[in-house]
Amino acid sequence: MLSQIGISVIQVIVILALAPLLSGIINKIKAFFQIRKGPGIFQPYYDLAKLMRKDSVVSENVSWIFHAAPIISFAAMLTAGLIIPIFISGMPFGFAGDIIAVVYLLALARFFTALASLDAGSSFGGMGGSREMFVASMVEPALMLSIFAVALNVGSTNLGYISQTVSNAGLSAVSPYHLLAFVAMFIIAIAETGRIPVDNPSTHLELTMIHEAMILEYSGKQLAIVELGAMIKQLLIYALLANIFFPWGIAQSISAAGITVALIVFVIKIVVLGAMMAMVETQTAKWRLFRLPDLLSVSLMLSFLALVSFIIVKGG
Amino acid sequence: MEEVIFGSGIMQLLIALILVTTFMILGSTRLYSCVRAFGIQSFLLACVASVVGFSTGKYDLYIIAFLTLVLKAVVIPYIFIYIIREIKVKREIELYVGISPSLIIGGMLVVIAYYLIRSIDVITGLSSFALSASMSLVSIGLFIMISRKKAIMQMLGILIMENGLFLVAISLTNGMPLLVELGIFFDVLIGVLIMGILIFRINKTFETIDTDKLKTLIG
Repeated sequence: MLSQIGISVIQVIVILALAPLLSGIINKIKAFFQIRKGPGIFQPYYDLAKLMRKDSVVSENVSWIFHAAPIISFAAMLTAGLIIPIFISGMPFGFAGDIIAVVYLLALARFFTALASLDAGSSFGGMGGSREMFVASMVEPALMLSIFAVALNVGSTNLGYISQTVSNAGLSAVSPYHLLAFVAMFIIAIAETGRIPVDNPSTHLELTMIHEAMILEYSGKQLAIVELGAMIKQLLIYALLANIFFPWGIAQSISAAGITVALIVFVIKIVVLGAMMAMVETQTAKWRLFRLPDLLSVSLMLSFLALVSFIIVKGG
Repeated sequence: MEEVIFGSGIMQLLIALILVTTFMILGSTRLYSCVRAFGIQSFLLACVASVVGFSTGKYDLYIIAFLTLVLKAVVIPYIFIYIIREIKVKREIELYVGISPSLIIGGMLVVIAYYLIRSIDVITGLSSFALSASMSLVSIGLFIMISRKKAIMQMLGILIMENGLFLVAISLTNGMPLLVELGIFFDVLIGVLIMGILIFRINKTFETIDTDKLKTLIG
């Protein structure tokens, strides 16, 4: 029992500690591809620390939603973090929810951020909120479908169980539907973490921004919480990618050695995923907002194909 | 025998990747990325041929794989790029059906192909995955031909259909006789050359390769 609580605490600490690092590493890799020096990988920590020391400036017109939204989204992200396997497949809170719960927790966070963006009544905020919901309406079904394709094969929607089964199956788990679902999920990860073909994370005050437009009204400590929440979301999406589609190396029982190895493997996996993401970001240009349905329907179609090929291979 | 080859993991992965490249062609709006996706698809087909050759021990399949690699993955994409450069065609594809609807139609075609293949009893011994993938390649190729305006895309569509037929042949018979395959390759190459010349002529006469505008009479 005590070790179970310990594992949960470690998992939360790992998520909190790694999330800014991942952002820093991705920015560094991106800078490398663009032949720049770029800020150090610990820069997000300094930024967060700086924001934490500052006071918030809040518009007079906002309601309680504006104050509650960062905390609700942050809490929703951390709760999702307890359900998603990070370094151990049998998470103590694994019983509390499955992939559907994760999708809805992400949706809850998104809903409150979008509400808060409308709250201050600025035109940018409303634009950002409506765009975010527009993208979300296509990302969510694709996210569910792509993980369902793997879940169908395993026979459970519990993320810990999925990653354990895939991990035990070894290389034989790599099948057409696995691959198709991975490609679909990678496109979703681009959209969910606000990376370049969909959204540009390194811009303020550009008419095409999505996430930045939503949080334009926030400052100081609240902004720090929102930013950290976004970084955690990014880490969680990568963790989903890593531990659903190639979970090899994940710890299956509570042992110090196993967990240490699993943590190192996890960091390597997310760094590799981050490098892939940085490459995509460097090579593509930001897409027009109204072309996004095309990209996301590719993802939706691939996850649909994953399901179909599952039926063909297994049921044919 | 066939079940072993086509049920194997590598084979299924290759076929899934071929489907992915087909959807890349359906989902992209740039001519160059379509041509690149076609090159990758042909490369994967060459891999399929050599895997079948390896597991059946028919060595003429290696020759076929090599020819596929050289002709379809290198020469034909090069001809495409040459045409695109020479006649300075606009890089974007114009379509009758938008990208998202085409992708949905593509997905539906895959499902239809699967049900068609399933209703044929003769081939129960074979992997229905390879066959339904090749059927969907043929039908998606046809769909690309009728839904895109550029003459180049119609050329690409017929080549995707050809790739689908190649996959049918290889998954039904474990490779046709070398002479037949050589004939088909020659056919495809000449076909591409003739179509290329035709596109040049269309461009010369109409100053566009948009097939939508071919309806205008020119005296």
